[in-house]
Parts: sequence; C-alpha cells; structure tokens
Amino acid sequence: MKTEFTTELVYTGVVGLLLALWFVATVICQFRESKASNFIRHHLDTFGMIPLWTFFAPSPGKRDYHLLFRDKYADQTVGEWQQMEITEERKLWSCIWNPQKRDKKVISDVVQNLVSTMPHYRSGEGDYRLLMFSMPYLIVLHAVSLCKRVPETESRQFMLAESCGYIKETDPTFILLSVFHQI
Amino acid sequence: MNILNNTYHEIIMLMSIGLFISTAEYLVKIKIFATDGLLSWNVMQIRWENSSKNWLAQTAFKFINPRGLSAIFVLRCALLIALAFAPVGSLNAWLCLTGLLITVLLSSLVTFYGSDGSDQMTLLIIVTLFLVFCPVGHANPTLLKIGIWFVGLQSCLSYAVAGLAKLFSNEWRRGTAIKDVFNTRTYGSPWALSLLNNRPWLNKFLCWNVILMETLFPLSLFLPFPLAVCFWIWGFTFHFLTAVIMGLNSFLWAFMATYPAIYFIHTQLA
Repeated sequence: MKTEFTTELVYTGVVGLLLALWFVATVICQFRESKASNFIRHHLDTFGMIPLWTFFAPSPGKRDYHLLFRDKYADQTVGEWQQMEITEERKLWSCIWNPQKRDKKVISDVVQNLVSTMPHYRSGEGDYRLLMFSMPYLIVLHAVSLCKRVPETESRQFMLAESCGYIKETDPTFILLSVFHQI
Repeated sequence: MNILNNTYHEIIMLMSIGLFISTAEYLVKIKIFATDGLLSWNVMQIRWENSSKNWLAQTAFKFINPRGLSAIFVLRCALLIALAFAPVGSLNAWLCLTGLLITVLLSSLVTFYGSDGSDQMTLLIIVTLFLVFCPVGHANPTLLKIGIWFVGLQSCLSYAVAGLAKLFSNEWRRGTAIKDVFNTRTYGSPWALSLLNNRPWLNKFLCWNVILMETLFPLSLFLPFPLAVCFWIWGFTFHFLTAVIMGLNSFLWAFMATYPAIYFIHTQLA
C-alpha cells in the first residue's frame, strides 16, 4: 500500500514537472528569433509539440500566393505560363467541414517557408543555388511537376508570385523564378 | 472528484468532435500523401534523414503512405468513438488515449506542413490526458488538477501571446489587418470584405477588439464570474466567426475544449 502511494506521488511530481517544463518551453518559443527558441524547436521538438501562438501576427498574411509553371518542349520552344490552382472559394458549410483547407495550408506554409529562407541563401552565408535542395523548394517543384503535361514536354520552370486578393490595390509581385527542371 | 471528472468529460467530448472532423477531412484528402501528392513521402522523408537508422523511426515510416495513413485515420476515428463511450478515468479510456496519441504522433511525421494551431492544441490536450490518466498515477485529484491547470494556462497563454503579437504590429494597431486578411482568397471572403470595405472605423474597432480581448483573456481566470463570462462568450464568438468567415473550423472545437479547464481554474481561484 505504501509502495503504491509512493509511486503515485512520484508519478504526480514527474508529470507536474514535465508539464511545467512544457509550459516554460512554450513561453520561451513564442520569442521566435531567440537562440533558446531555435534550440528547442530544432533539437528537442521532434513532433512539433511546442506551439507558436502568434496567430496572424505580427504580419497578418495579407497576400495570396500563386504558383505558375511553364514547359520547354523538345524543339526548345517555351509554352505559356499556367497557374496551379491553390485557392478555391469556400462553401457555406466550410465552417463545419472544410477539407480544402489542408491543401491551401500546405502550399501556404511551404511558400512562406521558402520565402523566409530565401534571404539566407541570397546573402553571403549560403550559395543561392543551394535553395534548390531545400525542402520547401523540392515540395513546390514536386507539386508543379505533377501537373498535366504533353509528351513533348522536356523540362518545366516554376514561378512563385503574390497578389493582394479580391480588391487589387497593388500589382502582383514576383517572388521566385526557378530554372528549368527536367521532368 | 465529480467536478474534476465532469471537466475532463467536457474536454474529451469537445476535443474528440474536433479531431474526428479533422481526421475525416484528412481521409477525404488522403491523395495528398500519395507518391504524386503534395505531401509525398518521397520528399517529406528528407526531414527525417538523420533518423533513418533508428529502428523505431524505420517502423513508423512504413505507415507513411496513403494505405498506412488511411488505416491510421480510420483507427483514430474508431478510437474517438470508443473514447466517447468509455467512462472518464477508466483503463479503456486510457488505452483509447494511448492509441490516439500514437496515431497523432505518427501522422505528425508527415503533416508538419499543413497543420495549424488547432492541431497543436489538440495534441497538447491528448498528451495531457494520456499523462494524467496513466494507471500509474491512479488519476489522483492532484494529478487531475495539474492537467486541467496546464490545459487552461496554455489556452490563456495562446490568447495573450496572439494579442500581444498583434499589439506590436503596425497593421493591427492601424486597423487594416482584418480587412487585409479578409481580402485574401486563402482566408478571406467577399461578403465579409464588403462589410469592412470603406468602413475604416469598423476595421479599427474590430482590430482593437481582437487585440484587447486576446491580450486580456487570461484575466478571465480571476475576474468575477459575470465579467469572466463576457470573455468566454467573446472567445466562442471569435472562433465561430473565424470558422464561418475564414474556414478555420477546427479551431472552434480545439479551443472550446480548453474552456472547461479555464472555468475550473476560475472556480478554484474565486
């Protein structure tokens, strides 16, 4: 009986300590740029258990991303730019059932990740060509390479652009133009 | 003890409904995990190349394909239904929670792009439930209270951090952020935009309403009940509207699941 009580007590203490540490780590990781936050996120948080609670802030995400691609054919001519459909109008019942949000969120996360890593590759710290080996770049390339093509297609180039949505207050802006990739 | 069990019952039910919907959504979109899908394992495995020699990781990776993930998602739905019927604190409920935790961790190997704050809140709740109902702890009242405090405080932290981050943003302070978000096809909607367009006073009111209410939300733990309820009703309305306007349906369930914990802490502090 006493052993059971002690085990229960020790377990309660361990869980309490674990949850307290988790809470402290969450607080630390809200300071995205801090060294401690980077260490926790990249070395300890394998399963993404430390949340980032800064929803839509400080930058509220006021741009739509566009993924375009064009093909180069065997005769070396280049086709028209085509847009890969990422965003689609939500339905009335999306407030209850919204599977489409997953595709949109994946592309949005990947593009944001790509955009945020681009300055690192552009600066002296890295070779800009190495961007092509980054995970977000490969996901985008993989996604565009899956779009329909004609048998004469030899290679494909993609472009990332952003626009401001329903009311066009500014012109669409170009973010990244890839080289032609064999597909 | 009864209050504790009731609180956990409410948390489990709300969390389960949200997770069930979210899992069913993944099942409908299972093609994104196919070889030619957006989250194809061919690409996503790059993230785990350092773990490729770990036998546990190797075993887990075998499930990351449309068939394996479909099985995981169907199993998760079944476990959620079973959890709804299992008495809170029973061994069966804990086994369901263990299964849920495994399925959530397995799918997180490939969904690190595309998951959102509601997924993180759900994971946080499941881990907490798994720990506090582990048979070793005999679900003793102290342990149960620790779990409730953790979930409630994390929820309050989430609102406060979101509010403070907005307070430090020019766009939120100027009152343009909400209109700008509603202007996007990703999270906006034409009818919501038409309400805000050419009404700068409404934009400013809504932005500052979100900033203040989110930042001050943790006060609902201490304030007298009628004032605390105002925060909770605001929270529900906020999540309901983001679900309707922005399509963020899973946030409503994941965050509402934390409200019973917030209410419990409030009653303890009152």
